[in-house]
Amino acid sequence: MSSPEKKPDSSLYAWVDARFPVTSTWNKHIGEYYAPKNFNFWYLFGSIALLVLVNQFVTGIWLTMSYKPDALEAFNSVEYIMRDVQWGWLIRYMHSTGASAFFIVIYLHMMRALLYGSYKKPRELVWIIGMLIFVVLMAEAFMGYILPWGQMSYWGAQVIISLFGAIPLIGPDLALWIRGDFIISDVTLNRFFALHVIALPLALIILVFMHIVALHEVGSNNPDGVEIKQYKNEQGLPIDGIKFHPYYSVKDLVGVVGFLFIFVFIVFYMPEGGGYFLKGSNFVPANPLVTPEHIMPVWYFAPYYAILMAVPDKFLGVLAMGTAIAVLFTMPWLDRCKVKSIRYRGLSYKLLLTMLVVSFCALGWLGTLPATPESTQLSRVFTITYFAFFLILPFTSARERTKPVPERVT
Amino acid sequence: MKNLSNRFTLFSLFLVMITFSVTTQAAGPKISLDDANNDLRDVQSLQRGAMLFTNYCMACHSVKYMRYNRIARDLGWTDEEVVKKMSRGLSRPVDYVMTSMSEQVQLAAFGTLVPDLSLTSRVKGTDYIFTFIRGFEQDEEGNWDNAVIKGTSMPNVLAGLKKTSTEEEYDQATRDISNFLEYVGDPSKIKRWDLGWKVMLFLFVLFVLAYLLKREYWRDIKS
Repeated sequence: MSSPEKKPDSSLYAWVDARFPVTSTWNKHIGEYYAPKNFNFWYLFGSIALLVLVNQFVTGIWLTMSYKPDALEAFNSVEYIMRDVQWGWLIRYMHSTGASAFFIVIYLHMMRALLYGSYKKPRELVWIIGMLIFVVLMAEAFMGYILPWGQMSYWGAQVIISLFGAIPLIGPDLALWIRGDFIISDVTLNRFFALHVIALPLALIILVFMHIVALHEVGSNNPDGVEIKQYKNEQGLPIDGIKFHPYYSVKDLVGVVGFLFIFVFIVFYMPEGGGYFLKGSNFVPANPLVTPEHIMPVWYFAPYYAILMAVPDKFLGVLAMGTAIAVLFTMPWLDRCKVKSIRYRGLSYKLLLTMLVVSFCALGWLGTLPATPESTQLSRVFTITYFAFFLILPFTSARERTKPVPERVT
Repeated sequence: MKNLSNRFTLFSLFLVMITFSVTTQAAGPKISLDDANNDLRDVQSLQRGAMLFTNYCMACHSVKYMRYNRIARDLGWTDEEVVKKMSRGLSRPVDYVMTSMSEQVQLAAFGTLVPDLSLTSRVKGTDYIFTFIRGFEQDEEGNWDNAVIKGTSMPNVLAGLKKTSTEEEYDQATRDISNFLEYVGDPSKIKRWDLGWKVMLFLFVLFVLAYLLKREYWRDIKS
């Protein structure tokens, strides 16, 4: 990346640059990273997800300064943060709202990939690393939710960990191994704290790094689903590409500020998110002797929880829940259509994708309701339609009646 | 093909039926809560609520996450005033608001531990508290019960207040108590409300500037 006409420089910057690739790294990933010029609204969520990650890190560090991972002290320490720590309430609400925001942003980010075929060749690894981020994020959120040590923290964890107990042969021992005790206890809280603040964030940051490196190796997809690298100018730069910085850095700034506007509104005016972000019953300290009437999963787990509850057999339910997530990893191979963008794809994919989104949202809604025979029946219907997407797709996508794809971006 | 469309019709019918049954299920019996209609910004009401709480609730209930000096700061009292008013000078301003009733006495008197009220408004809502404290009724034999929590061990501590005050005074007093308990549930609420719109206003200005900046840069890009 060094340009020949550059004069030798005796500055500190040059000294560092000769020993560490500051300029070349900046240029490769930001300054001279060429992205398609036709990104739309859906392409904002990658940057926003990164912002939310930073928010979780910073607020998380400050929460850790006053939080006590101790079954006797955890609940009190959260209230201590809310009342006695300067701006503690703001830090806590930013972190709790950030968790929900993270999932909203990530779900929209994944939706973008489904709309424009961003998981297709040559971006299979970008998708798979992204899916790994999603799985680690779910573990991170689950372990974070136990830390306030309220009733819903405790019993939510009880339900989820007992799922491992449903695995034949090794199940009970596995659940015991995860808890480190026969019930969820101080030991469990301590290890979940360790995983939540060290192990999983570390895994997240490494995966996010790999996600971006992989993306920048193959280049970004775009709403037309055409490869901008096919048409280059005399300098070998893509004609339809523009530098990430300043063009997309300023565009993403607009998106980021728009996102923050909504985020701040929630943090300041509805931090409970109508009971979906912070549940009222989680303001009761954890009590192993009293089971709450209705154990509600956090909204972002609700679709998978509904699938779990829809299957009559517990182990098969766990299997179905796991498969519902795992099957997403195989999207690059399930979808056999050569056309990437939904703009030029056939009716069958549009219908199937609509079915998937409707099923997912419906399951999310059903997963938060108290289980009744009717809601379980309805969950079964949507569980079937959810999986139907992945079963039907390989057959319809192979011979889809697509529209002609333009040579260059529009 | 005909068979398939028949099945589809049946399936749709089935879908409609279960959706309907779920929606009817949702409208189950529930106690309707009265609207507390309290105002957290009414400092006078919060001060009265704190005093009513001290006189009628604190013999048994704590708000163990609140310190006296925090209440003083938020309700416009001095540190000396708050401990004098709420604990007859027996506590220090930094102390948490604790009942003086020991756990043994609580168990002996009520057969259960008296719940802390710091977070009741967050768990159940302010209207719930308002309805509950006003929900005591006496049957023909003179036994008290509560419409919100049947068979509660809590006595009707406000019976005397109700007898000696007018209906408006009683409404106001119970509203003040509810208001105070909503305040202790999340004492930074007012600060949050007062700050939030300023942050949003800043972001709005930043949004406009960011948009103009974006438009300026993107003038180079031919679509």
